[in-house]
Amino acid sequence: MSNPALVIEHLRVDFPDVVAVNDLTLTVGAGDVCGLIGPNGAGKTTTMRAICGLQECTRGSVRVSGYEIAGEPDELKRQLGFMPDFCPTYEQLTASEFLDHFARAYDVPNRAKRIEECLELTWLTEKTNALCEELSRGMKQRLVLAKTLLPDPKVLLLDEPASGLDPLGRIELRKILLQLREAGKAVLISSHILTELSGFCNTAAIMERGRLVTFGTIAELGQKMGRRQMSVKWRADGDRALEILKSANVKNLETTNLGATFDYDGDTNALDELLKTLVVQGVRISEWRGTGDDLEQIFLQSGAKELM
Amino acid sequence: MNIFENPIFITQKRLAHRAGVLAPILIAALIGLSLLSGLIAYLADPGDFSFRSPQEAGKVFYGWTIGVEILLLVIGGFSKISRTLAEERKAGLWDSNCLTPLKPAQIVAGYWLGSGLREFFMAAILAGTGLVICALAKLPLALWPGTQILILSTALFFGLLASLVGMAFQKPQTGILLIGVLVVFYMPSLAFSKFTVTNFLLPVYSIANLFSGGDNSDRDWSGWPEIFGLSVPPVLLSLALQFALEIFLWRAAVRKTANPCQPLLLRWEAIAIFALLIVSQHALVWNTWHGAFGLSNNHSYQNGVEDDTLLAVTHCGTILIGVMILAFASPLPERVRLEALRAGGGNLRMIFSRSAVSLALALAAVASIASLTQFIFSFSDEGTVWAVAAANLFIFFLMFPLLLEFCRLRFKRRALGFVALWLFVLCLLPLFFLQMALWLAPALIVVGGVPLGEALRLSFVGCCRNWLAVGVYSLAFVFLMLLATLPIGLGWIALLPLCFLSSYAAYLDMFEASLEVLEAAPAAGR
Repeated sequence: MSNPALVIEHLRVDFPDVVAVNDLTLTVGAGDVCGLIGPNGAGKTTTMRAICGLQECTRGSVRVSGYEIAGEPDELKRQLGFMPDFCPTYEQLTASEFLDHFARAYDVPNRAKRIEECLELTWLTEKTNALCEELSRGMKQRLVLAKTLLPDPKVLLLDEPASGLDPLGRIELRKILLQLREAGKAVLISSHILTELSGFCNTAAIMERGRLVTFGTIAELGQKMGRRQMSVKWRADGDRALEILKSANVKNLETTNLGATFDYDGDTNALDELLKTLVVQGVRISEWRGTGDDLEQIFLQSGAKELM
Repeated sequence: MNIFENPIFITQKRLAHRAGVLAPILIAALIGLSLLSGLIAYLADPGDFSFRSPQEAGKVFYGWTIGVEILLLVIGGFSKISRTLAEERKAGLWDSNCLTPLKPAQIVAGYWLGSGLREFFMAAILAGTGLVICALAKLPLALWPGTQILILSTALFFGLLASLVGMAFQKPQTGILLIGVLVVFYMPSLAFSKFTVTNFLLPVYSIANLFSGGDNSDRDWSGWPEIFGLSVPPVLLSLALQFALEIFLWRAAVRKTANPCQPLLLRWEAIAIFALLIVSQHALVWNTWHGAFGLSNNHSYQNGVEDDTLLAVTHCGTILIGVMILAFASPLPERVRLEALRAGGGNLRMIFSRSAVSLALALAAVASIASLTQFIFSFSDEGTVWAVAAANLFIFFLMFPLLLEFCRLRFKRRALGFVALWLFVLCLLPLFFLQMALWLAPALIVVGGVPLGEALRLSFVGCCRNWLAVGVYSLAFVFLMLLATLPIGLGWIALLPLCFLSSYAAYLDMFEASLEVLEAAPAAGR
């Protein structure tokens, strides 16, 4: 893992009748996008609120870029951006006034320019002078994301950022998150819609009833969960491809139109070797996809679905 | 950070402007100008008015001006601040602000001073009009700044209280309910502001009482009471107490902004503020009782039984406020709460041994003994009425801190709103008994010619004997009050005359025959 930007150790949060988060230990490195996955009531939102100090922890510690909430809260707040699952906006302020409020609060240098940049990044430049109440749900979501990005935080906590977004909004959000990942931000993103996380998460943490079920990179988790399901498509030489696959001892081989699906027990290196063999033998591969790397598959195999 | 650079203040200012400040300012100007034009009309043609001098007319018109100012700044401001905070908490904006590097004090200050800006603008317009009225009527120079400082300090105090209420309660209405409770408790003191000199609400009362003496030009709040032999101007005393309470509330508000329901104060702070209230009030009441209060109208209270009992009730009320503050800002150690959470709820032993419940109960007992001392000295026939009220208050002393702490430890935090409702219901009980004594007393005095003390007693006894009819009438009247208030209070135009008529009808039913018999009996004897 790259340089850890967010370190959570033995975090526990108690509510009167329930332990919302129990002994959670998690690390997110700079440039990582970690998907926090779990059914409703798993403790995802509580974890995020506890990280930024909105929820009081019973015990455990949280460090953001080396700063602890108890020791250096101001520094921590500058390093951390939290986007809640709803869109808290001042309905009677314009988009730029709303951002100006937070830019002042964060004491952002060169305020006007930074506000412009954030509006541009979230495709809201045209709505600069529109009142927040006039914005659609998706636009409000993007505006709150722009607010979160204002102080240029090193760690971003995004709680169900795509809920309520239309397909286009989700595509836009994905692009923004990929940009943030490239910019070296550490992002912890929670969702129970797994397909929306698949596109940009490189690590994942699965929670259930407040406990961490499993945590690691997507590839590691795929392996940890055992058998990997693969899908391959070719332009020609299908027979030769099928022979190679059979000789590689793949399981549950099923042919489709110009392709096949199969289960494979080997590790990532063995899988790379298999692909190499196919290419060297002259099979013209048009698609090579590990469906086992899919977050949905990982989640289903993790067993953390009892509450769904 | 300068308050004018505070982002929350700036945003609240923007929101106030966006909601429109011109219309409220024009309304305030209209009220101010109508009062000013009344004075000008008197000065132009004094024969049309019953005032005996321009000063008297000025006092009346200025009194109305500052009355509206108090209403706007204190009540309106309180409501606005608590509502804004509760709504922003609900919307998640409070959390967003807490996540910024703004200091807790800056966040509180932003809401405290920014949310009620529209009310402040309106009050400023009225203050300006008041200044012109003072100048035209040639009222004493010190009157205007004195009253304005009192109004502003009270508004600031209430604003801070509103910030706490907004942070602690989920629903904005709860804040209004709380101020309702305060008003209910201090209702008896409204007419006798001389006794409530150490109450933090004094400025409002002293202003309300400022011109009540008619031709009495002495200001009640300019008297010099003695506290343990030292003369203290009541205004200064009141402001000092308000200042102390404001520091207390400020610390409470800023200590835990991210989670305002957490215990806010250290134990010694709560004890200190309670001690301050109880000592000063007790000493002052004692001195007043013995005629040491330099009252302007030279009344002696040494032998006035009614006044003594009233003092006791007032004393009781002040102590109660102390207990409320103590319980509201519970000095419960955080770890106790965490242990309660880990245990999946509180258990009685732990709550009593390690939380503030036992301390609150001990202080309530001290307060009750102090109050009882007063009652024992002032016990008389009329005292029976007050004793009933005192019993209610005593129950309340015990109930309130206990309920509050239990709710904190055993139930969800939103149960605080539920407690406030009970608090309100309990507050109404002593008031109901008081109302029984007051209801038919005016009719008995005016129509029946019965002396004051006897009228109060007869009214109370009459209500007790006809408890079923009075109960049904009260319930029906509460319903009618609500109904009358719904169409922006217009229903009161019909309800008020109905209220007087029904009082007279009740008086006829209950007393007319008895009084005739009483009158006839001596005549027959002769």
